[in-house]
Amino acid sequence: MSIHFVSVSCVYYSQGSIAMSQKKKAVSASQNKTQRRSQVCLDEDDEDAHFSQITSSQVQRAREHFTPVQIDRKVAEVVQFILIKDQKKIPIRRADIGKHVIKEYKGIYTEIMNRVCRTFEQVFGLQLVEIDPKNHIYILINKLEPIHGEPVSMRPGNPKTGLLFVILSVIFMKGGVIKENLVWNTLKKLRVDPGEKHDEFGDVKKVVTDEFVRQKYLEYVKIPHTEPVEYEFRWGLRAEKEVSKLKLLEFVGEVCAFLFLLHSLIQLTNLSVIVIINVIKCPLINL
Amino acid sequence: IRSKGSQEETAGTSNGLGGRNRSERACDMGDEDDTGAGPSAISDEDDDPTRRREIRSKYRDLINQVQQNREDMLNPANNKLTDVLEEANKLFANVRQAREAALDAQLLVLATDLGKEKASQLHAEGSAFDPSAFAEHLLSFMGLNRLEDESGQDGNLEGYLPQSAWQRLAKRSEYCFKTAPSFHYILGSFLAEPPPPRQRVERQRKAPSKEAKRMMPTQLKKMEESNQEATEREVERILGCLQKYFADDPEEPISYYEFVIDPNSFSRTVENIFHMSFLIRDGLVKMNLDKYGLPCIGKIKSTGHHFSCVCLNVLRDDMYYWCTIAPVEEGEVELGGAAVRNQCVISINQKSWRVSIL
Repeated sequence: MSIHFVSVSCVYYSQGSIAMSQKKKAVSASQNKTQRRSQVCLDEDDEDAHFSQITSSQVQRAREHFTPVQIDRKVAEVVQFILIKDQKKIPIRRADIGKHVIKEYKGIYTEIMNRVCRTFEQVFGLQLVEIDPKNHIYILINKLEPIHGEPVSMRPGNPKTGLLFVILSVIFMKGGVIKENLVWNTLKKLRVDPGEKHDEFGDVKKVVTDEFVRQKYLEYVKIPHTEPVEYEFRWGLRAEKEVSKLKLLEFVGEVCAFLFLLHSLIQLTNLSVIVIINVIKCPLINL
Repeated sequence: IRSKGSQEETAGTSNGLGGRNRSERACDMGDEDDTGAGPSAISDEDDDPTRRREIRSKYRDLINQVQQNREDMLNPANNKLTDVLEEANKLFANVRQAREAALDAQLLVLATDLGKEKASQLHAEGSAFDPSAFAEHLLSFMGLNRLEDESGQDGNLEGYLPQSAWQRLAKRSEYCFKTAPSFHYILGSFLAEPPPPRQRVERQRKAPSKEAKRMMPTQLKKMEESNQEATEREVERILGCLQKYFADDPEEPISYYEFVIDPNSFSRTVENIFHMSFLIRDGLVKMNLDKYGLPCIGKIKSTGHHFSCVCLNVLRDDMYYWCTIAPVEEGEVELGGAAVRNQCVISINQKSWRVSIL
């Protein structure tokens, strides 16, 4: 029994010490504000650290300090901030939300964010998802599932979606990681050459390795110990949450199965090639 | 001892390697210089700088080999990676110094990475999917026309890919994504206009708005009257038409259908029927059936059977327009005098209208 107690108290002690060291870190960080280095990420890490240091008494004080109207307004401001930030589809950092919008309302951050999430769900049909729990990065995704047969949006499709789909499906079908050459070779077959400027996509390499990576649709990671340096592609954190693997697999199956069937048909019936090609062109066969 | 060696192995190829007894070597490894005098147990061979250089050079060769022929090493068809590791094993027997051991470690790290890749290639799932074939299928989906050749493009690419190809793919791929629609304001930019022009525009707008308001009541009044007036005017106009016809030829009855049907407009036709029924109701014209049983319009005579109507219903029932010409009630004065009360129901819809135009 006594041993048991000792071990439990040890656990509490160690937890306490961790909390202590975290607090010390926060205090010293604020002391260093004047001597702060120019690294922006360091600044924002400190800002972000404040969120985890809020005590319940601070929360209480904050709630009493602001009127409900002010809090409502703050919630609306956060919602608007996130909506605008989401335009480029680059994930939003909690630190940015804190720095630019919440500011002195930090104390009731949790309450504000809960209401923000609720607003997104109930008013916009969107979901605010934390894709990176460690670095506190959020994205907005659609809460409503697209219905097959109905158009997803009234706007014309963005060709980049098709490009992204190709890359994501190849990565997925190949087990989750592929070397960059596989992507470039596949795209070349589709008349998209990373070395040349493309009519629709422009600088393809930039779109794939920079834009998609910043949006967290893809991860472009160096393979260690390669000479010359090679990279590999994986699904990004956004893709994990935003893309339905099942639907993707269904579509891949459709694309492949159709021609597999056709191929079998050719072999079975000896239809001429011209007939088959005209069948493909037929608008009825619209996947 | 075995476990230390196998730690390096398990990440390597599926072919087993002999365990390396590193711990045995560890005591031999010192950081002596090439030229320094070491402990008495070391033999001449270990001291020889040429020999040391040789070993290091061999290691570097192996490392280069692995780096340059990476693809070759990964090929599941050969055991080149295993060969390299066996070479390294042999070399290691002669390693005496830290510098050489460091090279050995570097080689092992490279080999481990390669081994991991090679192992992942063995996954059955990976091999079943062929990205090239997938690309071909996608081209067909995007509408590639294989019969037409793109002029001016390199000979490898056959067929013409239409402009809308990527659009088509995008539209279909959208289903796989739960993308939140981007938020954009519908109008306006965030650029603030300079104040003076805005004031001028406002002042200009203020003046006309007052007049516009004053205009409104008079316009509305006119509107109210015109609804009823319009019908009356139309009816009068039609009466005028009919009277002109009868002036030319008083006895000749006019076919009802010929008169009311407007070959260019179905709605006009309905309006004509509507207005005609007013005339009949008021007894200004008469309508009776001719010898073929078709209704026709004639001038009012003092006697004879003719239709008269009071109640006029233009109902819309499933695309049919029904016009009922109901009998006159007792006590109503008509111009025609003692007329027999008869009723005629006329219906018309778009189909029959189109047929009758022919």
